[in-house]
Amino acid sequence: MWGMQVSELLKTPLFDAHIASGGKIVPFAGYELPVQYKNGALKEYTAVREGAAGIFDITHMGQVRVEGVGALDFLQYVTTNDVSKLVDGQVQYSALLNEQGTFIDDITTYKINDEAYYLCINAANRHKDVAHLQQEATNFDVTVTDESDGTTLLALQGAKAQAALQALTEIDLESIGYYKFSRGKIGPTGGSAGGIISRTGYTGEDGFEIYIPNAIAAEVWNALLVGGAVPIGLAARDMLRTEMGYALYGHEISDVVTPVEAKLMWITKLDKGNFIGKSAVETRKSEGVKQRLIALKLTDRGIPREHYKVFVDGIESGEVTSGMHSPMAGGVALAYVKPEHAIEGDVSIEIRGKLVAAERASLPFVRSNVKK
Amino acid sequence: MSIPADLKYTKEHEWVRIEGDTATFGISDHAQEALGDIVFVELPEIGRSVDAAEAYAVVESVKAVSDIYAPVAGEVIEVNTLLESEPEKLNTEPYGAGWIAKVKMSGNSDELMSDDEYTTFLEE
Repeated sequence: MWGMQVSELLKTPLFDAHIASGGKIVPFAGYELPVQYKNGALKEYTAVREGAAGIFDITHMGQVRVEGVGALDFLQYVTTNDVSKLVDGQVQYSALLNEQGTFIDDITTYKINDEAYYLCINAANRHKDVAHLQQEATNFDVTVTDESDGTTLLALQGAKAQAALQALTEIDLESIGYYKFSRGKIGPTGGSAGGIISRTGYTGEDGFEIYIPNAIAAEVWNALLVGGAVPIGLAARDMLRTEMGYALYGHEISDVVTPVEAKLMWITKLDKGNFIGKSAVETRKSEGVKQRLIALKLTDRGIPREHYKVFVDGIESGEVTSGMHSPMAGGVALAYVKPEHAIEGDVSIEIRGKLVAAERASLPFVRSNVKK
Repeated sequence: MSIPADLKYTKEHEWVRIEGDTATFGISDHAQEALGDIVFVELPEIGRSVDAAEAYAVVESVKAVSDIYAPVAGEVIEVNTLLESEPEKLNTEPYGAGWIAKVKMSGNSDELMSDDEYTTFLEE
């Protein structure tokens, strides 16, 4: 994802706003996005974790509209979770698998009504996802439309998120439960338009994800800044999600692992009827896996980083998929290890040629404050 | 951007203060700003011999791991252990409390830049 040609990079409608806030721009998933703003990633992290509100430009995420009388049957077939369990206005974490049972992407499914859904997908996988969905859609009475380019997606996360956003919308935010959404007017007077607000996020704090037309993106962003929200870059966003142990495509999940290894069987409903990848997942489950995702915390000083090797009882067992210095929990990592090492054995992580002692940890690494 | 006049600099954005045969090493204000929030420092062992331009310490910011290179050759005689508990001193006081190590010099300092030369180097 990193290091793409500058000429190929896209800008979100908030590019100028990022520059105005001192954003340090890097290439990410085909977009020019801020890795941090002028006060640095740690202060941004603190704003979200310790009682303020942070605002994130996540417009690079894609939105796909699925419509038609066959929408439910289609989504049951292409996604892993049980879409029949959704009520109107509910969001569900799910995944798209291929026939090998490995991940095409992880997604969220928004149910508008029985014949209309939105899928929120990862930027880096957008074209692959849309091509896959449109191919599969030919067997169902459904249309699949990529609406990414007209939509700005913001996340507003932290204890003050609700108060900051309520000033900008007629939607009663208090009435939106965890993983629920509402539609209505969003934006300051003179700059409002119809959009979607869901109580979802990727930080472990209470907060919202906000879908609005590009035309009002800057007005909404600036109004939230005036309301006290702190702009948050990619670095702090990655810290916040890693502390929660949330999977990131290309790290914990990819087209070489299935939900069995990735600890995502909770979104993979084998009892709901047939879906793409189901038989491969069942086979993987019964035959056993070659690696398992675990959470680790260093007990000595150091920072685990992606691709660092993990040793168990002195034997190389796997590698780190995400690692960081958590201001609250110290050196923490998500890592794949051999299944026989997932529960037992002395764990260490190799950092610059030295083995640094670690212990298995439970997730999340720090307390989650989502409003369930 | 602060560039004190009493220090010498390298193209890798380290500074060195030479007093007799003792040299104190650190990273420049420009370096700390480019690295971003520093959250971990790995210091060299006391007694270690380092060559000029050899990596002698490691600094980790939120996103990146960076080697720090010795401006001059010498033997490490003191390290700033404060940085193990307060690595942010590298950001807040790069020329003061954020110094990294002191060496007993064994080589020359001919390759170093003056403050004026470093200022010009940064502008290029």
